[in-house]
Amino acid sequence: MVFALFIFWPLARTFYLSTHGNDIFGAPSTYVGLDHYTEMLSGEFGEVLATTALFTLVSVLPAIVGALVVVLLLEARLRGVRVLRTAFALPFAFSVATASVVFAVIYNPAIGIANGLLGAVGIDRVDWLTDPSIALPAVGLATVWMNLGYNVLVLSAGVAAIPPEVVEAARLDGATGWRLATGITIPLLSPQLFFLVVVSTIHALQSFGQIHILTKGGPDDATTTLVYSIYERAFAFGSSDFGGASAQAVVLLAIMLICTAVQFGILERRVHYR
Amino acid sequence: MATSRLRRTGVAAVALLVATALVGGCGSGADDGDSAGALDAPGAEVLDSADGTTTVEFWHAMKGANATAVDKLVADFNARSGGKVEVKPVFQGSYDETIAKYKASVQQKNTPALIQVYDIGSRFMVDSRQVVPMHRFIEKDAFDTAEIEPNIASYYSVEGKLWSMPFNSSTPLLYLNKEAFERARLDPTKPPKTLAEIGELAKRLTVKDGSGKTTQYGFGAAIYGWLLEQLLATDGKEYCDNGNGRDKLATKVQFDQATGVQVAQWWADLVRNGYATNTGRKTDDAQAAFKAGTVAMHLESTSVLRGYVDAAKGRFTVLTAPYPKVTDASAGGPIIGGASLWINGVGHSDAEKRGAWEFVKFASGAAQQAQWHTGTGYVPINPKALEEQIDKDWVAQYPQFRTAVDQLHALPPSVASAGCLLGVMPQARKAAEDGLEAAIVGAKPAEQALKDAAASVQPEIDSYNKSVG
Repeated sequence: MVFALFIFWPLARTFYLSTHGNDIFGAPSTYVGLDHYTEMLSGEFGEVLATTALFTLVSVLPAIVGALVVVLLLEARLRGVRVLRTAFALPFAFSVATASVVFAVIYNPAIGIANGLLGAVGIDRVDWLTDPSIALPAVGLATVWMNLGYNVLVLSAGVAAIPPEVVEAARLDGATGWRLATGITIPLLSPQLFFLVVVSTIHALQSFGQIHILTKGGPDDATTTLVYSIYERAFAFGSSDFGGASAQAVVLLAIMLICTAVQFGILERRVHYR
Repeated sequence: MATSRLRRTGVAAVALLVATALVGGCGSGADDGDSAGALDAPGAEVLDSADGTTTVEFWHAMKGANATAVDKLVADFNARSGGKVEVKPVFQGSYDETIAKYKASVQQKNTPALIQVYDIGSRFMVDSRQVVPMHRFIEKDAFDTAEIEPNIASYYSVEGKLWSMPFNSSTPLLYLNKEAFERARLDPTKPPKTLAEIGELAKRLTVKDGSGKTTQYGFGAAIYGWLLEQLLATDGKEYCDNGNGRDKLATKVQFDQATGVQVAQWWADLVRNGYATNTGRKTDDAQAAFKAGTVAMHLESTSVLRGYVDAAKGRFTVLTAPYPKVTDASAGGPIIGGASLWINGVGHSDAEKRGAWEFVKFASGAAQQAQWHTGTGYVPINPKALEEQIDKDWVAQYPQFRTAVDQLHALPPSVASAGCLLGVMPQARKAAEDGLEAAIVGAKPAEQALKDAAASVQPEIDSYNKSVG
C-alpha cells in the first residue's frame, strides 16, 4: 500500500499530466494526447539530450578513473597514507549545495580564485561559467570533485577485500606496479567499478543542484540538461507547464531504464564476481 | 496467492488512474460562481463588527536590508492597529518562487490575503480572478490618488484603473566609478548619455597591465532582460503588441525590432573588443564586479544603490547618472520596475480583505515611504515622502539617491514607458535573455538571436491567451 502510494501514484500522475494541457495556475486542463511528446521531436530537445549525454560523460568517467588512480597510488603504502585516504574521501561529506556554492566562489568572474591563480602565473582569465564551450566542463569538474570521495571510499573498500594471499602470490611471480594493477587489482575490483558506473550514471542523469547554483542552465543553454529542462518548464520564470515537464520526465525515466539495461547487458559480462 | 495479489495490485493501479482522471477533471473547473461577492471591497465597518484580531497573511520576496525594512513597516502597523488587525509577513523566496507558490496556493484554495508580486506578474494576477482590484477600495474610501506617483501607478493600471498598490518601485540607473573616470582623465560630472557614448568611454576606461591582462573593464552589466526592456522604453518602443498589452491581450513580443537588435549588437561588440566583461545572467556576479572596482560603468536598478554605497566606502566613490538612451534621437524614458501589493478576495473574509487594505494604505503613507526610500533605495511611491525630514537629510548626505527621483519626474508618461503587460512576461524576459546571451557570446548574429528568442516564446503566449480568453 505504501509502495503504491509513493511510487505508483506519482508515476501514474506523471503519465496523466503528460497528456494534458495546463491552465494558468498549472492545473491540468484539456486532454492533448501525445502533443507534448511530438513537440519534443523538434530541434531544441535534441540539444538538451546531447547536453545531458555530454554532462554524464564528463562527470562520470573522470570521477571513476580518478578515484581508481588515487586508490592504486594509495596502495603503494606511503607514509601518512591514512591521512591522504581521509583527505580524498572528504568531498563525500559535502552536500551538493555546499560544494556548489564553494565552486561558484572559485569560478566567480570578478573575485574568483581560479582566475586569481591563473593571473598569478600570467595566464589570461577564463570565463568559467559564461563561455558556452567551457561552462559544461566546468560544472562537470565540480561534479567530479563531489563524486570523487564516494568513489574512493567504494574502491578502497574493494581493495581492502582483496585476499592478501592473491596479491602475495602475484608479487612472488614478479608482478609489481602497473602489471599488478592491471593483472590483479583492477579485475578483482570490477564488481565495484561496475557498481560505480551504474550508480554514477543514474546520479549524473539526475544532477540538478550544481547546475542550478552554478549556471542556471546557461550560458546559451550550454548546461541545460534534461532534469534542468524539466525544472524550467515546471517551475522557473513563472512557468507552470507541468504537462510538457511531465512528458520530459517520462522520457528521462525511459532513458535511465535503457542506460541501466544496456550497462547490465554489456558491462556485467566482463565483471569478475568472486 | 501470488496471482491474486498481482490482480489486486492491477485493480488498485487502474483505480488510481481513474481517480487521477476524476480529481484532475474536477480541479480544472473554474469557480467563477462564488467570485462575484468575493471580489468586492468591504468598508471600514467590517473590522468594527469582527471579533478579536483579524490576521492578515502577507507573502513577500524581500531579503537582506529590504526584509528588515518590511519587518519594521509591519511592526509599526501592528502596533498602531490596536489589536484589530495583525499582519503576518512570510518570506517566500525570490519573486519567481513567490508566484510559483501562489499558483499552488490558488489550486489548494489557500491563498494569502496579501501578496507582493513583481511588475511582470501583473497581467497574470489580473487574469487569475482571485484579487480585489485596488481601485474598488480607493473608490470606497475616496482615497486621495494624489498620494500615488502617476508614473508608477500607470504600470499597475489596466484600462486606466489601478489593480494593485505599488510597493517597492525602482528605476534603472547608470552607475559610475568616479575614481576610474579621474584616472582616465575623464570628467565624471559629464556622464555618457547614449549607448554610443558608453561604447566610446568604455574603450578609454579599459585598463590593461604590463602582461596584457585586463585589470579594469570599461563596462559591465548582467545579461538581464529587464535592462533591455528599459532600453526599448527609453527609445519609445513598445515591447509587445496591442499597445504594450494595455488595449487588449498582447499576442506577441517585439523585442526583436531594430532597436533591440541594435542594443544586442552594441553589447556583443563591446564584449568582443574586450571593453566589457561578460559576467553572465546572474545579477549578483555583475554587482560583485562593480563593487570590486573592476568595472567602471554599470547598469543596475536603484534598489542596489544602498548596498553599493556601503560596499565602496573607503575604496571608491559611486556616482549615479540617468539611464542611457539608445540614440540621441531617443525620446522615451525608462519603465518603473519593482513590485506591488495585491489583495486576494476569493476565500477570504471581509475583515481580512479590509485588514489587508488598511495595511496597504498605511504602507503608502508619506512617513512610511520616506523610511522605505532611505532604507532600501527604492523610489517612494508617494511624492509627499520626499518632503519628510528624514528623506531630506538622507538625500543631502547621499545625493546619488536623487538621480532616480529626478529621472522619474522627468519621465514623459507614454505607452512605451508603462511597460508591457503580458501573462507570460517572466518567460518573455527569459527568452530575451536567451537572445541577448546568444548574441553576446557570439553563438548567433544579433538579429537572428533576437528573432529566434522572440519566436521561442510564441507558443507560451498563444496557450496563455487561449486559457484566459
